[in-house]
Amino acid sequence: MTGRMASSNTVAVVGYAQSPVRRHATSTLGAQTVETAREAIADAGLTVPDVDGFVTASMFPTAGAHAAVDGVSLVSANWLSAHLGVNPRYAAGFQGYGQLPGSVAMAVNAVASGAADYVLVHRALHNPSGRYHANPMTKAGGDQQWTVPQGYFGPLAMVALPYTEYVERYGATREAMAAVVVEARKNGARIPWSHWHGSPLTADEYLSETLLCDPICRLDCDIPVDGVACFVLTSAERARDLPNKPVYVAGYASGSPVRHRLPLHWPLDDIMEVGRETARRLCQSAGIGPTEIDLPQLYDGFSPFVYFWMESLSLCAPGEAHRMVLEGGIDSDQPDTVPVLSGGGALGNGRMHGVPQMLECYLQLSGRAGERQRPGATIGLACHSSPHFGGAVVYSAEPY
Amino acid sequence: MTSPGRPLPLPDERSQPFWDAAADHRLVLARCARCAQLCHPPDAACPHCGSTDPDFSYVAVEGSGTIRSWTVIRQSFLQGFDVPFVLVDIELAVQPELRLIGRLVDGPEVPLSLGAPVRLAFEDVASGVAVPAFALEATS
Repeated sequence: MTGRMASSNTVAVVGYAQSPVRRHATSTLGAQTVETAREAIADAGLTVPDVDGFVTASMFPTAGAHAAVDGVSLVSANWLSAHLGVNPRYAAGFQGYGQLPGSVAMAVNAVASGAADYVLVHRALHNPSGRYHANPMTKAGGDQQWTVPQGYFGPLAMVALPYTEYVERYGATREAMAAVVVEARKNGARIPWSHWHGSPLTADEYLSETLLCDPICRLDCDIPVDGVACFVLTSAERARDLPNKPVYVAGYASGSPVRHRLPLHWPLDDIMEVGRETARRLCQSAGIGPTEIDLPQLYDGFSPFVYFWMESLSLCAPGEAHRMVLEGGIDSDQPDTVPVLSGGGALGNGRMHGVPQMLECYLQLSGRAGERQRPGATIGLACHSSPHFGGAVVYSAEPY
Repeated sequence: MTSPGRPLPLPDERSQPFWDAAADHRLVLARCARCAQLCHPPDAACPHCGSTDPDFSYVAVEGSGTIRSWTVIRQSFLQGFDVPFVLVDIELAVQPELRLIGRLVDGPEVPLSLGAPVRLAFEDVASGVAVPAFALEATS
Protein backbone atom coordinates (compact mmCIF):
# COMPACT_ATOMS: atom_id res chain seq x y z
CA MET A 1 0.00 0.00 0.00
CA THR A 2 1.16 3.49 -0.70
CA GLY A 3 -0.43 6.52 0.84
CA ARG A 4 -2.97 6.80 3.58
CA MET A 5 -5.26 3.89 4.44
CA ALA A 6 -8.56 4.31 2.61
CA SER A 7 -10.54 3.42 5.74
CA SER A 8 -8.49 5.70 8.03
CA ASN A 9 -10.73 7.00 10.87
CA THR A 10 -13.86 5.38 9.41
CA VAL A 11 -13.90 2.51 11.94
CA ALA A 12 -13.90 3.02 15.69
CA VAL A 13 -13.54 1.17 18.98
CA VAL A 14 -16.82 1.70 20.83
CA GLY A 15 -16.57 -0.46 23.92
CA TYR A 16 -14.38 -2.83 25.89
CA ALA A 17 -14.08 -5.15 28.84
CA GLN A 18 -11.01 -6.42 30.65
CA SER A 19 -11.12 -9.39 33.00
CA PRO A 20 -9.01 -9.44 36.15
CA VAL A 21 -5.46 -10.50 35.25
CA ARG A 22 -4.53 -13.34 37.59
CA ARG A 23 -1.81 -15.98 37.82
CA HIS A 24 -4.49 -18.68 37.78
CA ALA A 25 -8.15 -17.83 37.33
CA THR A 26 -10.83 -19.76 39.20
CA SER A 27 -12.92 -20.36 36.05
CA THR A 28 -11.91 -21.75 32.67
CA LEU A 29 -10.47 -19.48 30.00
CA GLY A 30 -13.55 -20.16 27.87
CA ALA A 31 -15.93 -19.08 30.63
CA GLN A 32 -13.88 -15.94 31.31
CA THR A 33 -13.95 -15.09 27.61
CA VAL A 34 -17.72 -15.50 27.30
CA GLU A 35 -18.25 -13.30 30.36
CA THR A 36 -15.79 -10.64 29.19
CA ALA A 37 -17.35 -10.61 25.70
CA ARG A 38 -20.86 -10.10 27.13
CA GLU A 39 -19.54 -7.28 29.28
CA ALA A 40 -17.80 -5.56 26.33
CA ILE A 41 -20.92 -5.84 24.15
CA ALA A 42 -23.04 -4.30 26.91
CA ASP A 43 -20.40 -1.62 27.47
CA ALA A 44 -20.72 -0.67 23.81
CA GLY A 45 -24.48 -0.24 24.25
CA LEU A 46 -25.23 -3.32 22.15
CA THR A 47 -26.80 -6.73 22.65
CA VAL A 48 -25.17 -10.04 21.79
CA PRO A 49 -27.27 -10.61 18.62
CA ASP A 50 -26.05 -7.24 17.26
CA VAL A 51 -22.50 -8.60 16.98
CA ASP A 52 -22.00 -10.21 13.58
CA GLY A 53 -18.21 -10.36 13.42
CA PHE A 54 -15.62 -12.13 15.60
CA VAL A 55 -11.86 -11.81 15.24
CA THR A 56 -9.00 -13.00 17.38
CA ALA A 57 -5.49 -14.36 17.28
CA SER A 58 -5.85 -17.42 19.43
CA MET A 59 -2.15 -18.40 19.52
CA PHE A 60 -1.02 -19.81 22.89
CA PRO A 61 2.43 -18.22 23.26
CA THR A 62 4.40 -20.95 24.99
CA ALA A 63 7.45 -22.96 24.01
CA GLY A 64 6.36 -25.59 26.53
CA ALA A 65 4.69 -28.91 25.87
CA HIS A 66 1.24 -27.71 27.01
CA ALA A 67 -1.78 -28.83 25.02
CA ALA A 68 -3.50 -26.21 22.87
CA VAL A 69 -7.20 -26.85 23.54
CA ASP A 70 -9.91 -24.50 22.31
CA GLY A 71 -11.89 -23.10 25.24
CA VAL A 72 -9.26 -24.25 27.74
CA SER A 73 -5.80 -22.97 26.88
CA LEU A 74 -6.86 -20.73 23.99
CA VAL A 75 -10.13 -19.36 22.60
CA SER A 76 -10.78 -19.09 18.86
CA ALA A 77 -13.25 -16.70 17.23
CA ASN A 78 -15.53 -19.59 16.28
CA TRP A 79 -15.45 -21.04 19.80
CA LEU A 80 -16.50 -17.71 21.24
CA SER A 81 -19.29 -17.00 18.75
CA ALA A 82 -20.68 -20.51 19.24
CA HIS A 83 -20.66 -20.13 23.01
CA LEU A 84 -22.41 -16.78 22.75
CA GLY A 85 -25.05 -18.43 20.57
CA VAL A 86 -24.24 -16.31 17.53
CA ASN A 87 -24.01 -17.39 13.91
CA PRO A 88 -21.68 -14.60 12.73
CA ARG A 89 -21.44 -13.25 9.20
CA TYR A 90 -17.68 -13.03 9.70
CA ALA A 91 -15.39 -15.05 12.00
CA ALA A 92 -11.65 -15.17 11.48
CA GLY A 93 -8.30 -15.68 13.16
CA PHE A 94 -5.12 -13.72 12.60
CA GLN A 95 -2.19 -16.07 12.03
CA GLY A 96 0.77 -13.69 11.89
CA TYR A 97 2.93 -11.97 14.48
CA GLY A 98 1.76 -8.89 16.32
CA GLN A 99 -1.39 -10.78 17.17
CA LEU A 100 -3.54 -7.98 18.55
CA PRO A 101 -2.69 -5.30 15.96
CA GLY A 102 -3.24 -7.96 13.28
CA SER A 103 -6.66 -8.79 14.73
CA VAL A 104 -7.64 -5.13 14.89
CA ALA A 105 -6.58 -4.72 11.25
CA MET A 106 -8.83 -7.63 10.23
CA ALA A 107 -11.73 -6.18 12.22
CA VAL A 108 -11.26 -2.78 10.56
CA ASN A 109 -11.20 -4.42 7.15
CA ALA A 110 -14.35 -6.41 7.95
CA VAL A 111 -16.27 -3.31 9.04
CA ALA A 112 -14.94 -1.11 6.23
CA SER A 113 -15.84 -3.71 3.59
CA GLY A 114 -19.28 -4.36 5.05
CA ALA A 115 -18.45 -7.99 5.85
CA ALA A 116 -19.69 -7.27 9.38
CA ASP A 117 -21.27 -4.29 11.16
CA TYR A 118 -20.17 -4.88 14.75
CA VAL A 119 -16.97 -6.87 15.31
CA LEU A 120 -15.80 -8.24 18.63
CA VAL A 121 -12.01 -8.54 18.90
CA HIS A 122 -10.84 -10.65 21.80
CA ARG A 123 -7.55 -11.90 23.19
CA ALA A 124 -7.56 -14.71 25.75
CA LEU A 125 -4.32 -15.75 27.46
CA HIS A 126 -3.79 -18.76 29.66
CA ASN A 127 -1.20 -19.72 32.24
CA PRO A 128 -1.10 -23.52 32.47
CA SER A 129 0.05 -25.37 35.54
CA GLY A 130 3.73 -26.34 35.51
CA ARG A 131 6.65 -24.38 34.08
CA TYR A 132 5.42 -22.15 31.27
CA HIS A 133 8.19 -22.75 28.70
CA ALA A 134 9.61 -26.09 29.94
CA ASN A 135 9.66 -28.76 27.27
CA PRO A 136 10.68 -32.40 27.88
CA MET A 137 11.32 -33.20 24.20
CA THR A 138 13.95 -35.86 23.57
CA LYS A 139 14.21 -35.39 19.80
CA ALA A 140 14.03 -32.26 17.67
CA GLY A 141 12.86 -32.49 14.07
CA GLY A 142 11.83 -29.95 11.45
CA ASP A 143 13.13 -26.43 12.00
CA GLN A 144 13.99 -27.16 15.62
CA GLN A 145 16.68 -29.69 14.66
CA TRP A 146 18.94 -26.74 13.75
CA THR A 147 18.86 -25.09 17.18
CA VAL A 148 17.42 -27.32 19.92
CA PRO A 149 20.26 -29.91 20.00
CA GLN A 150 22.56 -26.93 20.71
CA GLY A 151 20.36 -25.75 23.57
CA TYR A 152 18.99 -22.69 21.76
CA PHE A 153 15.31 -22.69 22.64
CA GLY A 154 12.49 -20.46 23.87
CA PRO A 155 11.89 -16.72 23.79
CA LEU A 156 14.35 -15.71 26.54
CA ALA A 157 17.34 -16.88 24.51
CA MET A 158 15.73 -15.39 21.39
CA VAL A 159 15.60 -11.92 22.98
CA ALA A 160 18.90 -12.28 24.84
CA LEU A 161 20.91 -12.38 21.59
CA PRO A 162 19.77 -9.01 20.18
CA TYR A 163 19.84 -7.52 23.69
CA THR A 164 23.49 -8.55 24.09
CA GLU A 165 24.20 -6.90 20.73
CA TYR A 166 22.47 -3.73 21.94
CA VAL A 167 24.33 -3.70 25.26
CA GLU A 168 27.71 -4.27 23.61
CA ARG A 169 27.15 -1.82 20.77
CA TYR A 170 25.77 1.09 22.78
CA GLY A 171 27.04 0.51 26.32
CA ALA A 172 23.55 0.05 27.81
CA THR A 173 23.53 -0.78 31.52
CA ARG A 174 21.25 -2.82 33.77
CA GLU A 175 20.52 0.46 35.60
CA ALA A 176 18.93 1.76 32.38
CA MET A 177 16.75 -1.32 31.97
CA ALA A 178 15.78 -1.05 35.62
CA ALA A 179 14.22 2.31 34.73
CA VAL A 180 12.06 0.61 32.08
CA VAL A 181 10.81 -2.16 34.34
CA VAL A 182 10.26 0.17 37.30
CA GLU A 183 8.21 2.51 35.07
CA ALA A 184 6.03 -0.38 33.84
CA ARG A 185 5.44 -1.68 37.36
CA LYS A 186 4.76 1.82 38.74
CA ASN A 187 1.96 2.28 36.23
CA GLY A 188 0.71 -1.30 36.51
CA ALA A 189 0.50 -0.92 40.29
CA ARG A 190 -2.16 1.77 39.74
CA ILE A 191 -4.38 -0.42 37.57
CA PRO A 192 -7.09 -2.32 39.47
CA TRP A 193 -7.30 -5.34 37.13
CA SER A 194 -3.50 -5.77 36.88
CA HIS A 195 -1.74 -8.76 38.38
CA TRP A 196 0.73 -6.21 39.79
CA HIS A 197 -1.93 -3.88 41.27
CA GLY A 198 -0.44 -2.34 44.39
CA SER A 199 2.97 -3.92 43.70
CA PRO A 200 5.45 -1.41 42.34
CA LEU A 201 9.10 -2.40 41.97
CA THR A 202 12.28 -0.62 43.00
CA ALA A 203 15.41 -0.34 40.88
CA ASP A 204 17.33 -2.14 43.64
CA GLU A 205 14.93 -5.08 43.48
CA TYR A 206 15.51 -5.27 39.73
CA LEU A 207 19.28 -5.00 40.06
CA SER A 208 19.49 -7.71 42.71
CA GLU A 209 17.69 -10.24 40.49
CA THR A 210 19.96 -13.02 39.18
CA LEU A 211 20.22 -13.48 35.42
CA LEU A 212 18.43 -16.37 33.70
CA CYS A 213 19.72 -15.88 30.20
CA ASP A 214 22.29 -13.08 30.12
CA PRO A 215 21.51 -10.20 30.06
CA ILE A 216 17.86 -11.17 30.70
CA CYS A 217 16.55 -11.67 34.25
CA ARG A 218 13.12 -12.82 35.40
CA LEU A 219 11.88 -9.23 35.80
CA ASP A 220 12.63 -8.49 32.13
CA CYS A 221 9.91 -11.00 31.22
CA ASP A 222 6.16 -10.44 31.59
CA ILE A 223 4.57 -12.88 33.99
CA PRO A 224 2.29 -15.60 32.54
CA VAL A 225 -1.33 -15.04 33.51
CA ASP A 226 -4.94 -15.94 32.87
CA GLY A 227 -6.72 -12.96 31.39
CA VAL A 228 -9.12 -11.84 28.67
CA ALA A 229 -9.80 -8.53 26.98
CA CYS A 230 -12.51 -7.73 24.43
CA PHE A 231 -13.08 -4.69 22.23
CA VAL A 232 -16.06 -3.84 20.01
CA LEU A 233 -15.45 -2.11 16.68
CA THR A 234 -17.96 -0.61 14.28
CA SER A 235 -18.19 2.13 11.68
CA ALA A 236 -17.68 5.75 12.72
CA GLU A 237 -21.19 6.40 11.43
CA ARG A 238 -22.83 3.75 13.65
CA ALA A 239 -20.63 4.81 16.54
CA ARG A 240 -22.50 8.15 16.72
CA ASP A 241 -25.57 6.35 18.08
CA LEU A 242 -23.64 4.49 20.81
CA PRO A 243 -23.01 5.64 24.38
CA ASN A 244 -19.20 5.86 24.53
CA LYS A 245 -16.98 8.36 22.83
CA PRO A 246 -15.53 6.49 19.83
CA VAL A 247 -11.80 6.04 19.37
CA TYR A 248 -10.93 5.90 15.68
CA VAL A 249 -8.47 3.56 13.98
CA ALA A 250 -6.30 5.93 11.98
CA GLY A 251 -3.96 3.34 10.47
CA TYR A 252 -2.07 0.12 10.96
CA ALA A 253 1.04 -1.66 9.74
CA SER A 254 3.01 -4.82 10.23
CA GLY A 255 6.46 -6.10 9.36
CA SER A 256 8.04 -9.48 8.69
CA PRO A 257 11.67 -10.57 8.59
CA VAL A 258 13.19 -10.46 5.13
CA ARG A 259 16.26 -12.62 5.74
CA HIS A 260 16.24 -16.37 5.96
CA ARG A 261 17.17 -17.18 9.54
CA LEU A 262 17.42 -20.02 12.01
CA PRO A 263 14.33 -20.52 14.19
CA LEU A 264 14.02 -17.77 16.86
CA HIS A 265 17.05 -15.98 15.45
CA TRP A 266 16.33 -12.24 15.61
CA PRO A 267 19.59 -10.32 15.08
CA LEU A 268 19.48 -6.66 16.12
CA ASP A 269 20.13 -5.41 12.58
CA ASP A 270 17.12 -7.38 11.29
CA ILE A 271 14.95 -5.90 14.03
CA MET A 272 16.00 -2.34 13.33
CA GLU A 273 16.05 -2.54 9.53
CA VAL A 274 12.56 -4.00 9.20
CA GLY A 275 11.37 -2.05 12.25
CA ARG A 276 12.07 1.28 10.56
CA GLU A 277 10.04 0.10 7.56
CA THR A 278 7.17 -0.94 9.86
CA ALA A 279 7.22 2.56 11.37
CA ARG A 280 7.31 4.20 7.93
CA ARG A 281 4.32 2.14 6.79
CA LEU A 282 2.44 2.97 9.96
CA CYS A 283 2.86 6.70 9.59
CA GLN A 284 1.92 6.52 5.93
CA SER A 285 -1.17 4.45 6.71
CA ALA A 286 -2.31 6.92 9.36
CA GLY A 287 -1.23 9.99 7.39
CA ILE A 288 0.84 11.42 10.24
CA GLY A 289 4.45 12.07 11.15
CA PRO A 290 6.06 10.22 14.07
CA THR A 291 6.15 13.38 16.21
CA GLU A 292 2.35 13.66 16.10
CA ILE A 293 1.92 10.54 18.25
CA ASP A 294 1.43 11.79 21.80
CA LEU A 295 0.54 8.47 23.42
CA PRO A 296 2.88 5.77 22.11
CA GLN A 297 2.30 2.52 24.03
CA LEU A 298 5.20 0.19 23.36
CA TYR A 299 5.26 -3.58 23.62
CA ASP A 300 7.33 -4.84 26.50
CA GLY A 301 6.68 -8.57 26.80
CA PHE A 302 10.46 -8.68 27.11
CA SER A 303 11.91 -5.39 28.27
CA PRO A 304 14.45 -4.91 25.41
CA PHE A 305 11.54 -4.54 22.98
CA VAL A 306 10.94 -1.11 24.53
CA TYR A 307 14.35 0.06 23.25
CA PHE A 308 13.80 -1.57 19.87
CA TRP A 309 10.39 0.07 19.39
CA MET A 310 11.56 3.47 20.67
CA GLU A 311 14.34 3.52 18.12
CA SER A 312 12.30 2.02 15.27
CA LEU A 313 9.63 4.68 15.79
CA SER A 314 12.29 7.45 15.96
CA LEU A 315 11.26 8.45 19.49
CA CYS A 316 15.01 8.83 19.97
CA ALA A 317 18.15 8.37 17.88
CA PRO A 318 19.49 4.84 17.25
CA GLY A 319 21.40 3.60 20.28
CA GLU A 320 19.99 6.34 22.53
CA ALA A 321 16.92 4.67 24.06
CA HIS A 322 18.87 3.38 27.08
CA ARG A 323 20.14 6.89 27.83
CA MET A 324 16.70 8.42 27.40
CA VAL A 325 15.05 6.03 29.88
CA LEU A 326 17.87 6.46 32.38
CA GLU A 327 17.36 10.23 32.25
CA GLY A 328 13.65 9.86 33.05
CA GLY A 329 12.53 10.36 29.45
CA ILE A 330 9.66 7.85 29.66
CA ASP A 331 8.42 8.78 33.17
CA SER A 332 4.65 9.16 32.69
CA ASP A 333 4.38 11.35 35.80
CA GLN A 334 6.63 14.08 34.41
CA PRO A 335 5.68 16.72 31.84
CA ASP A 336 7.38 16.74 28.45
CA THR A 337 8.30 13.05 28.50
CA VAL A 338 7.28 10.24 26.16
CA PRO A 339 5.02 8.04 28.34
CA VAL A 340 5.59 4.77 26.46
CA LEU A 341 4.44 2.58 29.36
CA SER A 342 1.71 4.72 30.93
CA GLY A 343 -0.68 1.77 30.65
CA GLY A 344 1.75 -0.46 32.53
CA GLY A 345 2.49 -2.61 29.51
CA ALA A 346 2.91 -6.35 29.82
CA LEU A 347 5.57 -5.99 32.51
CA GLY A 348 3.12 -4.02 34.66
CA ASN A 349 -0.06 -6.02 33.93
CA GLY A 350 0.92 -9.59 33.04
CA ARG A 351 1.36 -11.49 29.78
CA MET A 352 -1.61 -9.96 27.93
CA HIS A 353 0.14 -9.88 24.54
CA GLY A 354 -0.49 -6.33 23.33
CA VAL A 355 -3.73 -5.76 25.27
CA PRO A 356 -2.36 -3.25 27.80
CA GLN A 357 -1.04 -1.10 24.96
CA MET A 358 -4.36 -1.09 23.06
CA LEU A 359 -6.41 -0.67 26.21
CA GLU A 360 -4.39 2.36 27.35
CA CYS A 361 -4.90 4.00 23.96
CA TYR A 362 -8.63 3.29 24.12
CA LEU A 363 -9.11 4.45 27.72
CA GLN A 364 -7.07 7.63 27.38
CA LEU A 365 -8.43 8.69 23.99
CA SER A 366 -12.06 7.99 24.97
CA GLY A 367 -11.62 9.87 28.24
CA ARG A 368 -12.41 6.76 30.28
CA ALA A 369 -9.11 6.36 32.17
CA GLY A 370 -10.58 7.65 35.46
CA GLU A 371 -7.96 8.71 37.99
CA ARG A 372 -5.26 7.85 35.45
CA GLN A 373 -6.72 10.16 32.78
CA ARG A 374 -3.99 12.10 30.99
CA PRO A 375 -5.03 15.50 29.65
CA GLY A 376 -4.56 16.29 26.02
CA ALA A 377 -3.74 12.91 24.49
CA THR A 378 -5.10 12.83 20.95
CA ILE A 379 -3.14 10.26 18.93
CA GLY A 380 -2.09 6.92 20.39
CA LEU A 381 -0.04 4.04 19.10
CA ALA A 382 -0.30 0.44 20.33
CA CYS A 383 2.22 -2.10 19.14
CA HIS A 384 2.92 -5.74 19.76
CA SER A 385 5.77 -8.23 19.31
CA SER A 386 9.01 -7.12 17.66
CA PRO A 387 9.28 -4.14 15.28
CA HIS A 388 10.54 -6.57 12.60
CA PHE A 389 8.02 -9.32 13.28
CA GLY A 390 4.94 -7.65 14.66
CA GLY A 391 2.51 -4.83 14.14
CA ALA A 392 1.14 -1.54 15.37
CA VAL A 393 -2.08 0.47 15.21
CA VAL A 394 -2.58 4.24 15.40
CA TYR A 395 -5.68 5.40 17.28
CA SER A 396 -7.18 8.87 17.20
CA ALA A 397 -9.52 10.70 19.58
CA GLU A 398 -10.98 12.65 16.68
CA PRO A 399 -11.23 11.88 12.97
CA TYR A 400 -8.81 14.00 10.97
CA MET B 1 21.18 -43.59 32.12
CA THR B 2 19.67 -42.06 35.25
CA SER B 3 19.13 -38.52 33.99
CA PRO B 4 17.61 -37.66 30.61
CA GLY B 5 20.04 -36.70 27.86
CA ARG B 6 19.92 -33.63 25.67
CA PRO B 7 17.34 -33.58 22.87
CA LEU B 8 18.85 -35.22 19.80
CA PRO B 9 18.41 -34.07 16.21
CA LEU B 10 15.82 -35.95 14.21
CA PRO B 11 17.26 -35.85 10.68
CA ASP B 12 14.96 -35.80 7.66
CA GLU B 13 15.68 -36.45 4.03
CA ARG B 14 16.96 -32.93 3.45
CA SER B 15 19.09 -32.69 6.61
CA GLN B 16 20.52 -36.22 6.73
CA PRO B 17 23.87 -35.33 5.07
CA PHE B 18 24.40 -32.50 7.57
CA TRP B 19 23.96 -34.79 10.58
CA ASP B 20 25.91 -37.67 9.01
CA ALA B 21 28.89 -35.35 8.50
CA ALA B 22 28.51 -33.83 11.98
CA ALA B 23 28.80 -37.33 13.45
CA ASP B 24 32.27 -37.44 11.82
CA HIS B 25 33.05 -33.95 13.14
CA ARG B 26 32.75 -32.35 9.72
CA LEU B 27 30.59 -29.34 8.86
CA VAL B 28 28.78 -29.55 5.55
CA LEU B 29 26.22 -26.99 4.40
CA ALA B 30 23.61 -27.01 1.64
CA ARG B 31 24.56 -25.25 -1.59
CA CYS B 32 21.95 -24.24 -4.13
CA ALA B 33 22.66 -25.76 -7.54
CA ARG B 34 21.09 -22.73 -9.25
CA CYS B 35 22.96 -19.82 -7.58
CA ALA B 36 25.79 -21.63 -5.74
CA GLN B 37 24.96 -19.81 -2.48
CA LEU B 38 25.02 -21.65 0.84
CA CYS B 39 21.65 -21.91 2.57
CA HIS B 40 21.27 -22.69 6.25
CA PRO B 41 18.93 -24.09 7.22
CA PRO B 42 18.12 -25.57 3.81
CA ASP B 43 14.54 -24.71 2.88
CA ALA B 44 11.88 -25.60 0.30
CA ALA B 45 13.04 -22.70 -1.87
CA CYS B 46 16.49 -21.12 -2.08
CA PRO B 47 16.39 -17.92 0.05
CA HIS B 48 18.96 -16.29 -2.25
CA CYS B 49 17.70 -16.91 -5.79
CA GLY B 50 14.18 -18.10 -5.02
CA SER B 51 14.51 -21.38 -6.92
CA THR B 52 11.97 -23.98 -5.86
CA ASP B 53 14.29 -26.61 -7.30
CA PRO B 54 17.53 -25.74 -5.47
CA ASP B 55 18.82 -29.31 -5.83
CA PHE B 56 20.99 -28.80 -2.75
CA SER B 57 24.35 -30.49 -2.56
CA TYR B 58 26.30 -30.53 0.67
CA VAL B 59 29.76 -29.03 0.61
CA ALA B 60 32.43 -29.09 3.30
CA VAL B 61 32.85 -25.79 5.17
CA GLU B 62 35.82 -25.05 7.36
CA GLY B 63 33.64 -23.36 9.95
CA SER B 64 35.66 -20.42 11.19
CA GLY B 65 33.75 -17.27 11.95
CA THR B 66 33.15 -14.36 14.27
CA ILE B 67 30.88 -13.79 17.25
CA ARG B 68 27.86 -11.62 16.39
CA SER B 69 26.19 -12.14 19.76
CA TRP B 70 26.00 -14.47 22.75
CA THR B 71 24.04 -15.38 25.85
CA VAL B 72 24.75 -17.42 28.97
CA ILE B 73 21.93 -19.87 29.65
CA ARG B 74 21.58 -20.24 33.42
CA GLN B 75 18.14 -21.86 33.43
CA SER B 76 17.35 -24.29 30.62
CA PHE B 77 13.81 -25.06 29.49
CA LEU B 78 15.16 -28.22 27.85
CA GLN B 79 16.29 -31.30 29.71
CA GLY B 80 19.79 -32.74 29.71
CA PHE B 81 21.77 -29.49 29.70
CA ASP B 82 24.12 -28.65 32.56
CA VAL B 83 23.88 -24.93 33.28
CA PRO B 84 25.37 -22.44 32.93
CA PHE B 85 26.49 -22.68 29.33
CA VAL B 86 27.27 -20.16 26.60
CA LEU B 87 25.51 -19.93 23.25
CA VAL B 88 27.14 -17.94 20.47
CA ASP B 89 25.61 -16.50 17.32
CA ILE B 90 28.32 -16.98 14.69
CA GLU B 91 28.70 -15.43 11.26
CA LEU B 92 30.70 -17.92 9.24
CA ALA B 93 33.64 -16.55 7.26
CA VAL B 94 32.66 -18.50 4.16
CA GLN B 95 29.68 -16.30 3.23
CA PRO B 96 28.30 -12.97 4.54
CA GLU B 97 25.33 -13.30 6.92
CA LEU B 98 25.57 -17.09 7.05
CA ARG B 99 24.88 -17.84 10.69
CA LEU B 100 25.11 -20.81 13.02
CA ILE B 101 24.12 -20.82 16.68
CA GLY B 102 26.00 -23.24 18.90
CA ARG B 103 27.53 -23.72 22.31
CA LEU B 104 30.90 -22.15 23.10
CA VAL B 105 33.02 -24.93 24.54
CA ASP B 106 35.25 -22.48 26.44
CA GLY B 107 32.53 -22.08 29.08
CA PRO B 108 30.84 -19.09 30.73
CA GLU B 109 33.84 -17.56 32.53
CA VAL B 110 35.70 -16.43 29.41
CA PRO B 111 35.24 -12.73 28.47
CA LEU B 112 33.63 -12.30 25.05
CA SER B 113 33.36 -9.47 22.57
CA LEU B 114 31.49 -8.82 19.35
CA GLY B 115 33.63 -9.81 16.39
CA ALA B 116 35.85 -12.23 18.33
CA PRO B 117 37.10 -15.04 16.07
CA VAL B 118 36.02 -18.62 16.66
CA ARG B 119 36.73 -22.00 15.13
CA LEU B 120 34.50 -24.98 14.77
CA ALA B 121 34.26 -27.64 17.49
CA PHE B 122 31.90 -30.56 17.98
CA GLU B 123 30.07 -31.96 20.97
CA ASP B 124 29.51 -35.72 21.03
CA VAL B 125 26.06 -35.99 22.59
CA ALA B 126 25.17 -39.65 21.99
CA SER B 127 26.55 -42.65 20.20
CA GLY B 128 26.92 -41.59 16.56
CA VAL B 129 25.48 -38.11 17.18
CA ALA B 130 27.55 -34.92 17.33
CA VAL B 131 26.42 -31.31 17.32
CA PRO B 132 28.42 -28.39 15.85
CA ALA B 133 29.80 -26.02 18.48
CA PHE B 134 32.50 -23.35 18.61
CA ALA B 135 35.73 -22.54 20.43
CA LEU B 136 37.41 -19.18 20.78
CA GLU B 137 40.36 -18.76 18.44
CA ALA B 138 43.48 -17.76 20.29
CA THR B 139 44.21 -14.16 19.36
CA SER B 140 47.78 -13.07 18.95
